[in-house]
This record gives sequence, C-alpha cells and structure tokens, in this order.
Amino acid sequence: MDDVVQKQIERRAQVIRALKEELIERVNLPYTPEDLHEDISLLGAGLGLDSLDALEIVLCAEGRFGIKIPDDSVEVLRSINTIVDYIISEQDRKDAAA
Amino acid sequence: MKSLYLKPTWLSAGASLDERCGTEVVSGFSDATTEYKTIRDSVGLTDFSFLSMYRLPEETAIDLLDSILACNVAKTRFGRMAHTFLSDQDGNIIADCYVANNDEEFILLCESIVEPEELDAILMENGAEAAQIENRNDTHVLLGLDGVDAWKVVRDLFGADVLGLPYLSVEMYPFEDEQVTLFRAGKTSEFGYMIMAPNTVANALCDKLQALVSEAGGGLCGVDIHNDLRLEGRFFNIQREGRVVKDPLVLGLQWMIDFEKGDFRGSEPILAKRTQGTTQKIIGVSTEGDCEAFAPGAEICHGGEAVAQVVTSCFSHVLGQKLGLAVFPVAIAYSGLEFALGAEDGAPVRTISMPPIVPKSLSVRLDEM
Repeated sequence: MDDVVQKQIERRAQVIRALKEELIERVNLPYTPEDLHEDISLLGAGLGLDSLDALEIVLCAEGRFGIKIPDDSVEVLRSINTIVDYIISEQDRKDAAA
Repeated sequence: MKSLYLKPTWLSAGASLDERCGTEVVSGFSDATTEYKTIRDSVGLTDFSFLSMYRLPEETAIDLLDSILACNVAKTRFGRMAHTFLSDQDGNIIADCYVANNDEEFILLCESIVEPEELDAILMENGAEAAQIENRNDTHVLLGLDGVDAWKVVRDLFGADVLGLPYLSVEMYPFEDEQVTLFRAGKTSEFGYMIMAPNTVANALCDKLQALVSEAGGGLCGVDIHNDLRLEGRFFNIQREGRVVKDPLVLGLQWMIDFEKGDFRGSEPILAKRTQGTTQKIIGVSTEGDCEAFAPGAEICHGGEAVAQVVTSCFSHVLGQKLGLAVFPVAIAYSGLEFALGAEDGAPVRTISMPPIVPKSLSVRLDEM
C-alpha cells in the first residue's frame, strides 16, 4: 500500500476505534472494539439498539467528532461504517470550507 | 428428502423446486428481477418451511438451548426473539437460528447447512428427549412475508395491533380453529414476518395470504432471490458466506455471541480464536456494471498480488452494480480502498460500507399508520 492509502487507512481506523469505544461506553455494550464488525446493523437487527441508543450515538458523534447528525438521518445510523463515512465526509467538508 | 407440505400449491403456481441440505425448497416462480421488485416495491410470499422448527416447554428450554446456542437464551425476554447461531464442536457455524420466547414455550427456527437429521441428533445428544422437544418439521409450515408492504398483509390478516410489534418479536394469533405463531423477523431490510402454522390450516392460510398479497400488488417468491436481498441488506446468509467461511469471528458474528455466559457448543475454539485475535475479516466490495468475473472464488489483487477472495456476490438492482463480500486481511479490511479483480489490470474493485442501500421500509413509520 502506498503512503496515501496507508494514511487513508490510518485515519479511518482512528475514527472507527474512537467511535466503537464511545458506543461501548455510552450504550453499555458487552463487547470489545475488536468484537464489533463495522458493518453490523445498529438499529433493530444486529446490535438491536433502540431509539434512545440512537440518540446516544448522535450525541457521541457531536461530542467526540464535532459534527452534527441531522435528526432525520436514519440512513446514517445503519452501521458503524455508514456513521464513519458521514463523520469523515463532514470533517472533509469543514476542512475545505476553513 | 423432506418434502414441502404445500408443494402441490406451489407447483400449480409454476414453482421451480430445488434441494437444500436434504430439504425441498421453492427456488423461484418467475425471473429474479420480477421477484426482486416484488419484495422491494410491494410484498412477496415465500415458503420458508425448509427451516427446521422445534418447540420446547419453557421449563426445559433455557438449559438445553443455552448449552448449544451462542446467545444467552435466558436473557431473551417474553415476546422477543434472539438471533444467534449453532456451531459444530470446532466452532464452525452450521445453523443460523432464531430463538423465540413465546410465553410458556420457546420456538427454535434453524436455517442450516447440515441435514435436519444432524440437527435432530445434536439436540438429542444434548438432552432433547428429556426436555420434551417437539419437532415440527413434518407438522407445521413456515410462510414468510417480506417487502415494503408486508405490514399491510399481516395487518389485514391479524388486525392493526401487529403494527406495534418490534423487530424480533413473537405473538400468537387465532386462524380458523388453530393458533398460529407470527414472528416479526426477516432478512431483506424491508418489513418481514414469518407465520408458523399447523398443517391442518396450512392450505387455508396459504390461500388467504396469496389473496392478500395479490391485493397489495405483490406475488409469490422463491428462496433464491433472498440471497440477493440479504446481501444488499448485509444480513448474514449461512447459505452463501456462511457455507464458505464458517468461522463466526471472520464472519463478524460476534454480536450473536454472549461471551460472558459460559460454555456452549463450539465455544472453546471460538473463545480461543477471540483471545488470539482474528487475522481475516469479511467486508463489502463492489465493481461497476454487471462484471461476470466478479463471482465467488474470484481473487482481489493489489500490486499484482492476490490479497482477498470474493465469497458471495449479486447484481444490485438498486445500485446498478455488482456487490459482494470478500475475506481480507484485517490490516486492509477498510471501506473506501481500491483494488483490482484477478490481476493488476483487472476490473476495479472497491471496498464499501455496508449496507449499501437505503430500503424503502426505512421511510415508513408504522406507529403513524
């Protein structure tokens, strides 16, 4: 892997790790970060989180990553990977605007 | 081979039949595109009676099921279901299971990659006889309703209170002179329900469901199209990636396991692998268009070297491209990376975040109906 791709991997890995740690603590999940596959469904199927848990995830994204997930963005909350995609795209958008 | 009770009905409707691990299945009724659209745009009726079905009295169910299944059955609340798996003694997955806590009984539904007799034998080895288990494979049918309008069919059949059932819940309803069991479940990412009914009312129930499905603009579906729907929704499919990969940790099924509950069948090797750390992970991949070479077994390359292998694929009608799952080394198992199919100059393959589609059902609010 060249340096650019390696940096891309490292950046994504950092966001994933931080998000998983927040999720485990805030939603009280009985798993380690390594246990949580990034594509697991968060709401309903998979981890089976409820609407209160979803609110925790939204607050976590705001608090830890400084980005806002709109109230009606259920599609963002489908999996850890879809949340990470949103966080990275919002961070890039902010950087571009700065 | 276990035969479908409703086989004459399905054959008269034009079904194609196939076999899965010693059980007969309806593979399809029409072309894949039609059945795909039936479920994504309205509602499809599918015969899931090839799943192994068991009933256990509440007082014996928890001990037996907890000793073999990966989840914590004792923590499954009344009226709810747990989604978990059964593995062999080496920790390889052999059945994708739902366990339902239904008042004074537990229901176990298994979609397996071993024959029903092998599942029966595992249950017997673990005390099924003493637990008074009832095998329902020859006495009940299991009919599935999936689709953005599936809720309309179950509402019209059982009443509006079904709309309040959360995902993975179970409830009994009267139908003719019998009680049937409704499971709010499904693996298409649209609304999904399964109804388990005794054979004595199976034909009447099937006729009623066909009429309601038709009224809702839906139709009959086979089990084959569910492979594509599961992949698009990133639901685990034991018939595809499960059959190839088998290791629940590489498959990302840790969420189906209660690591704190103690021993279960195959737990020792699974817990040992967890402690060591897995070196591989299954993730989503896609390629443009309808690339034929993007199929199970295809190698994914970087710099001319094979780094991963496709284990399942389908054409996504929503995205207009091929989707798949591939096993990658953990170090590069991240979404958003570019690779090539088969060789350095092969078709571009991108690792993607799953699930890649937003189902229509996500915009339907049943609590506002």
